Amino acid sequence: MPATDNQGSFLNRISIRRNQVVSMDGNHEQELEDLELFQKHVADRFADLLSQSEDTLGDGLLSISWLRKLLDVFLCCEAEYKAILLLGRDPSQISKPPLDKLVPEFHDRVVKALDVCNAVSHAVETVRHYQKLAEIAVTALEQRPIGDGQVRRAKKALNSLMILLEEKEGSNHKLTERAWSFGRRSANATTSSSKDRATSASQFRSLSWSMSRGWSAAKQIQAMSSNLVAPRGGESSSPALPVYIMSTITVFVMWALVAAIPCQERNGLLTHLPVPKQLGWAHSIIALQEKIAEEWKRKKEKNRLAGLLEETQRIEKLGVSLIEFADSFQFPPDADRLEEVAVQVAELGETCKKMDEGLMPLQQQIREVFHRIVRSRTEVLDLLDQGGKVTAPIM
Amino acid sequence: MADFSSVLSPREGEIHVIAAAQHIVKALGANKNLDDDLRKILSQLDGHLSAMTLLTTESRGTGFREVEEQLKYAEEKIRSWESNQFLLWDSDESDPLEASEFLKTIDEIQALIGGLRSLSVNGNGKQKDLLNRADSILQMAMSRLEKEIMHILVKHKQYFQPKNMSFRSCGMDVLYDESFVSVEDVPSEEELRRNSSGKESDEYIFDLIHPHVIPHLKSIANVMFGVSYDQEFCQAFVSVRRDALEEYLVVLKVEKFSMEDVLKMEWSSLNYEIKKWVRAMNIIIRYLASEKHLCDQILGDFGFVNPLCFVEISKGSLAHLLNFGEAIAMGTHEPEKLFRLLDMYEVVADNLLDIDALFSEEAGTAIRLDFHELLRSLGDSGRATFLKFGNAIAANVSTRPFSGGGIHPLTKYVMNYIKTLTLYCNSLNVLLKDQDAADSNPVVEPENGQGDSSITHCQMACHFRSITATLESNLDRKSKLYRDGVLQHIFLMNNFHYMAQKVKCCDLRIFIGDEWIKEHIVKYKQHAMSYERATWNSVLSLLKDDDSPRFCSASKAIRGFTIAFEEVYKNQTGWSIPDPELREDLQISTSQKVIHAYRSFMGRKSSSINEKYVRHSPDDLQNYILDLFNGSPRILQSSRKK
Repeated sequence: MPATDNQGSFLNRISIRRNQVVSMDGNHEQELEDLELFQKHVADRFADLLSQSEDTLGDGLLSISWLRKLLDVFLCCEAEYKAILLLGRDPSQISKPPLDKLVPEFHDRVVKALDVCNAVSHAVETVRHYQKLAEIAVTALEQRPIGDGQVRRAKKALNSLMILLEEKEGSNHKLTERAWSFGRRSANATTSSSKDRATSASQFRSLSWSMSRGWSAAKQIQAMSSNLVAPRGGESSSPALPVYIMSTITVFVMWALVAAIPCQERNGLLTHLPVPKQLGWAHSIIALQEKIAEEWKRKKEKNRLAGLLEETQRIEKLGVSLIEFADSFQFPPDADRLEEVAVQVAELGETCKKMDEGLMPLQQQIREVFHRIVRSRTEVLDLLDQGGKVTAPIM
Repeated sequence: MADFSSVLSPREGEIHVIAAAQHIVKALGANKNLDDDLRKILSQLDGHLSAMTLLTTESRGTGFREVEEQLKYAEEKIRSWESNQFLLWDSDESDPLEASEFLKTIDEIQALIGGLRSLSVNGNGKQKDLLNRADSILQMAMSRLEKEIMHILVKHKQYFQPKNMSFRSCGMDVLYDESFVSVEDVPSEEELRRNSSGKESDEYIFDLIHPHVIPHLKSIANVMFGVSYDQEFCQAFVSVRRDALEEYLVVLKVEKFSMEDVLKMEWSSLNYEIKKWVRAMNIIIRYLASEKHLCDQILGDFGFVNPLCFVEISKGSLAHLLNFGEAIAMGTHEPEKLFRLLDMYEVVADNLLDIDALFSEEAGTAIRLDFHELLRSLGDSGRATFLKFGNAIAANVSTRPFSGGGIHPLTKYVMNYIKTLTLYCNSLNVLLKDQDAADSNPVVEPENGQGDSSITHCQMACHFRSITATLESNLDRKSKLYRDGVLQHIFLMNNFHYMAQKVKCCDLRIFIGDEWIKEHIVKYKQHAMSYERATWNSVLSLLKDDDSPRFCSASKAIRGFTIAFEEVYKNQTGWSIPDPELREDLQISTSQKVIHAYRSFMGRKSSSINEKYVRHSPDDLQNYILDLFNGSPRILQSSRKK
């Protein structure tokens, strides 16, 4: 166990005895070993993520490929966690302290994580929309000879993209706007009253929510982390620790997803997760968390939170520059300028390709995480069901 | 196109040939049934022919002027339309000819661009300039078409009206009483519901967009795809159709809930939401068949784009339905949820083939898998709930005897519950088969040699018999709570009679089998007999001719009998046999036995009985016996007075 001082190991020894008395089996040594291994694996996996986050070729922090790796890490840790929690354990232990409190808390947390998965998965569609608009710009600007038509086509798409990216947090007024413009247009032909239009507009607005009304990703993350307390003293050995570790990982992963993908209501997203610094397995998680928080704050100042995903940032940067090009475009184009632009268009095309290849698998992986969480929860509950006697109503 | 034939030149003949060829190409291109490749070839050919014309005429220096003229003409037309506030395909305002004119102009521009482009390798400034202008006009026209399609799609949207789909309002009804505490024989509405929403078997396609605008959309699609503005077309199309579907979910009153909301929701609201969900699932799958048809009509010629767009339209809305289903499957396994879980399971199972067909392409794989996964989750949850139901019966504990020995609520609950379950026979059999296959200890048949029909051997039937056996042993336990052994018999008789009766007069009979019914009739009759014996044998023994000299007087016997009878009366009027027939039977057979013995004793001993000891005439007794088992304790006042 890393970072154990004298007192820690002393308490460990006590807890070993106590647990041996309680569990009456010789497996405790094995369990401690497993737990230590689990911490090591968690540390290693996140260290890997930390080193990949330095990548400057586009697969670094908060890129699609990094997020997919993050989800892989989550799935690996989760499998190991479940093995530690369930294998060789008498189910009745789960209904005794400290697990009787920790496991239900953990389950509350994972249910919230499921909602985050759904919101993020839905929001991946928004990112796909960015991609599609960028693709139009690429198609237009790749054409040769390039003229006003192509440039205008690209600009139209990029402008829509910028509007989407600038959308304020939580609001998704695109649909509302469109509903209004149709309302106006058809007002010529139909006799819809203004009241009808207002209701249809509000209906559209409610459609644009991916989750239930008032659901907020930021609040969800907040709630998930609020009762996250590191086990102390005797509890810092099995079995409270793996629950705590997995909780921390879950909160971190969901938080990173919410930061990267513009899902419903991120206003007031935490920039600091309560992970104690002295824990060995958490070093890389803390480092990553600080990096993402830094990025978040930087973007928040510019009010451009939609694009925390690496690929979105790239699209945004290139988009801004290409809009500049489009604004100053005059036919016939300057050959040097065109070459410059061609490089940017190629990069934009490359980014779109990455998104095209990565977003769907990312979405599916989020779904996999979702199903995994559901199944694990069910497994534990089933075990409890079989273990603890059903308390039937007394008649 | 400009009239190339009017140009007089030495190569006039050649130009004529080109123009003729171009004419043919255009005529061929007008054919609506062309496939994608052919259309492409024709459009390229058209471009090449235009280029040839340009080359031929350019050599005379007049060609570009000609082209310039055409462009100018096209540009003017497009601009004039652009300034027009009315939309071209707005059927109320616009002239259909104008719309086709617009598309024709785009065709012309496209042909010009094709021609100019194929020259551009060695082209000069003038030609580039023209190409720039042409592209620019084309872009303007495309941007206009993008608006037009959105407008057409919105304006001519038709609300889906499902055929044969019961639109019975699903109000906030709590129809099945789901607690152990109070259950009466109610749930015939379950049957009603299931019969009314008969499955819609035949393929039914509804026009989600008014059919008369489909050709317009199709021709716009052809034009936009033809000039590589397919991305814009798809975006516009997908976004309007996606919103239409989401809106339709609102029409179906499907609300968006987070998983957390669902898991915390009270059962009554959940019950209501589930009913809406089941109905919405049924309808949405029909809706999607029509949506797919619409996509096929408009995008059918464009290969993989078609399924891709269809998936994008449906994905978001289906995700809501899927997540709600998953959330329900995650919930706790209270017995009352079983029917709704099975409803959900069945609606997914019934529609699974359709879902597989709708999303058969690669783009739809994730959706397909998600529905299979959902079916599995719902099945697991349904099975777990069913099995837990059995455990709950076994674990149901009473601390006090059930007053009066009547029909215990648990018995009613269990019997009504399994009676309702017969409606879900097929699904339940599938689920239980999986379970028993996986389980090394399948349900042990409490009795062998059930009837010959195969249905009595199905998984569900076995489980039913096992459930009734569990119920019986629980009732046995409960009967032990009575201090009065005789009341135990009444209690068991009542409950077994109820069970047998319930099975006999509904579909349960087919599953549980006549053999079972016979056994249970025997059982309750045995308890009835035991009751008679235990209660009356001792009472009637007082009337036996006893020749012992010490205790010989008949009067004393009568007195003893009367006291004993009154004691029985006091006790057993408070007991209850809710079934009137059963009660009557028992009263009659009791009457026969008691009155007969009493009468014959009186007859035999009439001489030696002191009249004052005879408090009740046989007729009185007969009437008193009719007071037994009515559940309201009474006392024969006379006994105290005399």
